[in-house]
Amino acid sequence: MKHPSKTLVVAGFALLVGATACNNENITNVNRNPNAPTSAPAGAVFTQAAANAVGRYLGTGVLDLRGTEWTSQQLSEVQYPDEDRYARLQASSTTGTFNAAYTAELENLKKVVAQGQSAGQPGVWGPAAVMQTWAFGYMTDVWGDIPFTAALTGDSVGGSLTPAYDAQKDIYTSFFKTLSAVSSALASDPSTDPGLGSADPIYGGSISSWEKFANSLHLRDAMRIVNVDPATASAEIKAALSAPGGVFASNADNATFAWPGDGVFNNPWANNFSTRDDHRMSQTLMNIMLGLNDPRIPIYAQPTVADPTKYAGMPNGLDASTAGTYFNTASRPGAIFYPGATAYGFYGGAGKTYPSNIMTYAEVAFTQAEAAERGLGGLTASQAPGFYNAGITASMNQWGVTDPVAIATYLAQPAVAYQGGAAGLTQIATQKWLALYSDGTNAWAEWRRTCVPSTVKAGPAAIINYVPRRFEYSTTELSTNAANVNAAIARQGPDNFGSRMYWDTKPTAAPTYVNATACAGS
Amino acid sequence: MRSLLRTLLTATAGLALCAASASAQGAARITGRVTSDNGAPLPLASVSIPSLGIGAYTDDGGLYSIQVPGARVPSGSVAVTVRRVGYSPKTVQVTLAAGGSVEQDFVLTTLPNVLSGVVVTALGVQMEKSQLGTAQQQVSSGVLNSTHDANVVNELAGKVAGVTITGSGTQGGSSNITIRGSNSIGGNNTPLFIVDGVPVSTADRGGSVNGAYDFGSAINDLNPDDIASVTVLKGPNAAALYGSRAANGVILITTKTGSASGGKVNTSYTSSYSFDTPSITPTFQNLYGQGAGGQFSFVDGQGGGIQDGNDQSFGPRLDGRIIDQFTCPTGCPWVAHPNNVSSFFQTGGTFDNNLSFSGGTDRASARVSVGTDDSKGYIPNNSFQKFSAALSGQLQVSSRLSTSASLNYINNQALNRPGTGYNVGILEGLYVWFGRQVDMNALRHEFYQPNGSLYNWNYNYHNNPFWIQYDNPEHDVRNRMIGNVSATYKLTDWLDVTARTGSDIYNYNQSQEWAGGNLNFADPAYSGAFAFQQTGWNENNSEVLATLRKTMNSHLAVNVIAGANRRFSQYNYTSQSTAGISVPWIYNVSNAAITPTLNQNIQNLQVNSAYGSASFTWDDWWTVEGTARNDWSSTLPRGHNSYFYPSVNTSLVLTNMIPSLKSSFLSYFKLRGSVAQVGADASPYQLATTYSGSSAKFSGLPLYSISSTISNPTLKPEITQSGEAGVELGLFDDRASLDMSYYRKATRNQIINLTLAPTTGFANKSINAGKIVNAGFEAQLNVTPIQTNNFQWNATFNYSTNANKVVSLYPGLTTIVLNSSWYQNVEARVGQPYGTLFGYTFLRDSATHKLITLNGLPQIGPRKVLGNVNPLWIGSWNNEFKYKRWTLSGLLDYHVGGSIFSVTNMFGQYTGVLASTIKGREVDWNKPGVVVQGIDGNTGQPNTVNRTAEDYYQSLFAINEAFIYSATYLKLRELRLGYDLTPNQAHRFWAQSVNIAFVGRNLLASKKIPNVDPEFAYASSTAGLGMEFANLPNTLSWGFNVRIVP
Repeated sequence: MKHPSKTLVVAGFALLVGATACNNENITNVNRNPNAPTSAPAGAVFTQAAANAVGRYLGTGVLDLRGTEWTSQQLSEVQYPDEDRYARLQASSTTGTFNAAYTAELENLKKVVAQGQSAGQPGVWGPAAVMQTWAFGYMTDVWGDIPFTAALTGDSVGGSLTPAYDAQKDIYTSFFKTLSAVSSALASDPSTDPGLGSADPIYGGSISSWEKFANSLHLRDAMRIVNVDPATASAEIKAALSAPGGVFASNADNATFAWPGDGVFNNPWANNFSTRDDHRMSQTLMNIMLGLNDPRIPIYAQPTVADPTKYAGMPNGLDASTAGTYFNTASRPGAIFYPGATAYGFYGGAGKTYPSNIMTYAEVAFTQAEAAERGLGGLTASQAPGFYNAGITASMNQWGVTDPVAIATYLAQPAVAYQGGAAGLTQIATQKWLALYSDGTNAWAEWRRTCVPSTVKAGPAAIINYVPRRFEYSTTELSTNAANVNAAIARQGPDNFGSRMYWDTKPTAAPTYVNATACAGS
Repeated sequence: MRSLLRTLLTATAGLALCAASASAQGAARITGRVTSDNGAPLPLASVSIPSLGIGAYTDDGGLYSIQVPGARVPSGSVAVTVRRVGYSPKTVQVTLAAGGSVEQDFVLTTLPNVLSGVVVTALGVQMEKSQLGTAQQQVSSGVLNSTHDANVVNELAGKVAGVTITGSGTQGGSSNITIRGSNSIGGNNTPLFIVDGVPVSTADRGGSVNGAYDFGSAINDLNPDDIASVTVLKGPNAAALYGSRAANGVILITTKTGSASGGKVNTSYTSSYSFDTPSITPTFQNLYGQGAGGQFSFVDGQGGGIQDGNDQSFGPRLDGRIIDQFTCPTGCPWVAHPNNVSSFFQTGGTFDNNLSFSGGTDRASARVSVGTDDSKGYIPNNSFQKFSAALSGQLQVSSRLSTSASLNYINNQALNRPGTGYNVGILEGLYVWFGRQVDMNALRHEFYQPNGSLYNWNYNYHNNPFWIQYDNPEHDVRNRMIGNVSATYKLTDWLDVTARTGSDIYNYNQSQEWAGGNLNFADPAYSGAFAFQQTGWNENNSEVLATLRKTMNSHLAVNVIAGANRRFSQYNYTSQSTAGISVPWIYNVSNAAITPTLNQNIQNLQVNSAYGSASFTWDDWWTVEGTARNDWSSTLPRGHNSYFYPSVNTSLVLTNMIPSLKSSFLSYFKLRGSVAQVGADASPYQLATTYSGSSAKFSGLPLYSISSTISNPTLKPEITQSGEAGVELGLFDDRASLDMSYYRKATRNQIINLTLAPTTGFANKSINAGKIVNAGFEAQLNVTPIQTNNFQWNATFNYSTNANKVVSLYPGLTTIVLNSSWYQNVEARVGQPYGTLFGYTFLRDSATHKLITLNGLPQIGPRKVLGNVNPLWIGSWNNEFKYKRWTLSGLLDYHVGGSIFSVTNMFGQYTGVLASTIKGREVDWNKPGVVVQGIDGNTGQPNTVNRTAEDYYQSLFAINEAFIYSATYLKLRELRLGYDLTPNQAHRFWAQSVNIAFVGRNLLASKKIPNVDPEFAYASSTAGLGMEFANLPNTLSWGFNVRIVP
């Protein structure tokens, strides 16, 4: 060989390449993902899922600020009022929210439940199951029959890629079971259970608080089916009230979500208001409050620009140019929701950290008042005034009205003072609806169930002549899970705004039901 | 078969170890220069002694050198043949003497016939075109750089049949390129680019119709002036040796090199300057200004005045009445500013310079070049600069060992890349929202009011466009090295082994800075916002390749190659962004007022490959070749990651087989055919479902959530099977040549991110399913209708048509949405072509198909297929006229068919800025109105309701059907008028030769779609197709070009 060294170099290189090129067994190690793990701590998954859920059901999307605040008529739209006319509440606009609810918080909460259950830790799975039930409650109350039993199993062996839609009746039955199970599991939580601890942004891992929340939610869900199945409602109300831990007894028990307000996680209303000036108080809400001299008005709303001594609402569902005329003559939502500097001026200041109300004692008190007046769940009518007054007082306190004189003056008004009977039930429903401000979907559900307030009517430029009873199904579901969606439609009624929830199918059973036109569906 | 291949490879490696070398004593040498009939040196011509099987190629200066070993020096004369694409071959008898040296120059005459000569094929192997059984087309440096464009992909437009190129709007933007249609639903449809044997990144950081910057594709980095030739391997058949990267075809780029020049330095300098303007702009109305319902009066531009929050142009008539405006809060004449949008544009310019030196001795040669590209955009404060330097060298270490290396360094910098779509696109606010009375000049110099707040015509939705360009800049810089080192050892005269390693390495930094008050990106409570991104990329390929070329007997020649390759790539991406900073103008992570969002993504990939091919040529007329490749990929499941990709092709030169076929009419007749199976790999980390973390903490708490995509632990690569057949004809004494191909290919096992029912808890699942079929025909015709001593006319036609069909997806699945915007989808829909436009129609009467109206307005009907993005056929016609020292050439580029959904037209009508929205308000803002021809949905009678133009045009919003247009266009893509100075004239510039030329690009366009350019690409991926929204139009440029050889 003339140039052995160079030959050696070439050959050596050939062997090097050959050797690595033939080592094909371990090549898959290169595919080990350095970016993301295949499992994650339950607490970290819970925190993210809770933030997603609260952001969605008490946030800026179609399930609150850009949707159900119009169908509940607590707010109106002053610029580009498409949503207020229900034009952008059709399937194409609501599909994203429906889809994301399942793939974000609902799936992740299921993972936390699974992880907690396999570790025998009710302090982990219990809160996740409560949050999931709370979230599923909004979903079924907006869409009716939805996938529940077979849902969220896409990645499990034998899981369904086309989940069947459960009847809403069955979903509510499952809610009751789940919440009873959580309540009793938490009551006997083993001392070895580390729980969620600080990863729980709602109660900081307090087991007794979650017991109360589970039972309070049980109470809400039980009352929702009262028109269609009063016997079950009564039994479940009793179960909720007698479950270990009991229900909320004061505002200290409230399930609230404290937003850090750090720019990344802000109160969603404040986030929206920092760049959009589309929202005004609805005349429907404002006129009731003005009629009752409600001390919460300066908190719920801001004075009008045109007259700073005045509070005013604007009608819902106007056409764009008419709506625009209310720009300066209708009240913006309360300064508490505003972040300070916005794209259109300085309003409020602390809105970014304003906590979202997941569920409050005021709602629990009003539900108990209604149960008492109707003699459900072992309560009696004589207990109704107490719960009613407690609910109003709690709501006042919760929103920052603490002056006992102002509250007493309010309570003493003839229109507010509890009257009992059907009139009392209307008072309870009105006060509950007022208290549910900023929880649009829940307020909308209460109106559908009670027909209170009866002044909720579709606006003049609305694309339908009634207030929606539900939203339309996800277009993604219609294309990927058609058979099951169509089965639900066949069962429930046409996939439009007019078909009614299972719990809304006997409206006349509501003692507060006014008349067909006042609460008309399609 | 696989084990056989492995045995063969092992044997080859073994041979490399123990081969002996022969002596080179007493060799004979032939050297010389090859020039064209107009005196220009011809690089890359093949000079060979066929009887000895020895040859060489000419360098940049047309020089060659052949060495014949002493033992093989024949007695008597020997034939030396020179061949080059586009020229008649020439053979000369030469007498050699052992130890002696002979000088022999050649002058070749130009031929339109491109059917013979030496071409580059897969793995860079050079081959006689007559032996090729697959379709490929070569573009030489001169044709490529006929008119200057910094983007090599744009320069290919109209030059290769079967290649669809959609040019970028402006310098530095993306271009879309596909060969023979799209194969992959969810994956990549861009061909593999290889520079001197090293695969290079075509990474796309394109924009979107929904709003993003178009950062262009990494392939734009290459300096076209360093390219010697581009070879397009059209699809799987020609590219089969690339296995799992072959599905979309391959573009082989050969860069210029130095060569033996007897130690003399060859210098070349080119310079060009062009003036750049937008080629196509919308036509606006100038009768009505901003507002709604015929009303407008400015107070705060946010709704505080009369319709002053409204950003549409359905306001008062522009008749000079006094109205409060942003420029005059207490009133001034209400008049149109017809040129307000066009005055935003300026004449840009591109200055391009290239200098190269090359030369060498008989044992070593080198070329070094530097190039600069400096563009000022046609929009304010937009620039793009590229600096590139290249060094390549070859060293003949011994008679048996030769080595070569090349290194390219590229630095490119952009300021204010074109934004695309809503909120980001600079033209979005101007093309569809800009009030017709708005004085652009008022915004040009005043960004702020005396009190420090921003100054603009509307404060609800729009930023001052100049303020965006100057105070909200986007910057990016890419530094890149592409290099390779190779050594070839000649074991015997007929067997050599090459080892090569090469890398493409870059890092890319982008920053976007948004000043306080930016309505789209900055939280109003803070002083501005930013987003930074850093990308690091490194792909290394190391290869050994053994090549055997042997003439077995007087009839049979054998050509065998065997090789192995290891590919390893690393991708590392990080980003930092925040919507709020503390101190204005300081865009640094430390100044973030809101905890910045951080992202990091690392992707590692390795593919090991073994491959080989064997071709047998019988008597110069029949060649059969088989190729095989096996890839082992890291991204596929353990134990199931090995895939085999074979191909077979044959060519039959009938005019050689039956010489009596030859006539003055038919000079050459070749048939070819091929079948191949190739693949397309999965991306990394698709096998296991993971949890995604978040850099943001919730009050200090960590956050995790499960991925919304269910991974697939049994993933397979996509498989494309392709067959092609072709005919090559030389006609009229080689004055015309015709090359035609028919192909059909089917891609199955598509890696699809299946859309799941969201109620499964997941949005997608990664699966293998579905099939796409492409079938098409392409033809290339070269004609020289006139050839005299002083005048020559060459014409080239390229034609291609491709029919694409999505045959199947997944059981029960009828469509996959590829891209969606403004209710319009671009889909892969079963039974339709890939890229189907699916959207909302007009509601029509099922019997008469007339529109159904409600209150006089058209209604939204069901969603339907409204068209597809694929052209029916594309063609180009290039003419070159040479008269003495003058050359005039022009390239016409024609796309017929295909549809576009135009968001610009949709919004432009919704807002009433386009000239087309005058209909219905010719008399006054609400007169005469519009009576829609249709049937009243309530009465069933013809509609008689008269609505205002405002109501009518706004009712069309979201009716996608109304805004689907034909994409057909004809463009004068290139025009060049050049003159070669005579040697005497050149000497006055101290040069050997000087060429000066007038050049133009996109000078004329004829199109069917109103207001916008039908050609747009804001991404080199599928996402860039079918939907347009205020894209920067193609640059119309004209200027001058000088080439000097000192």
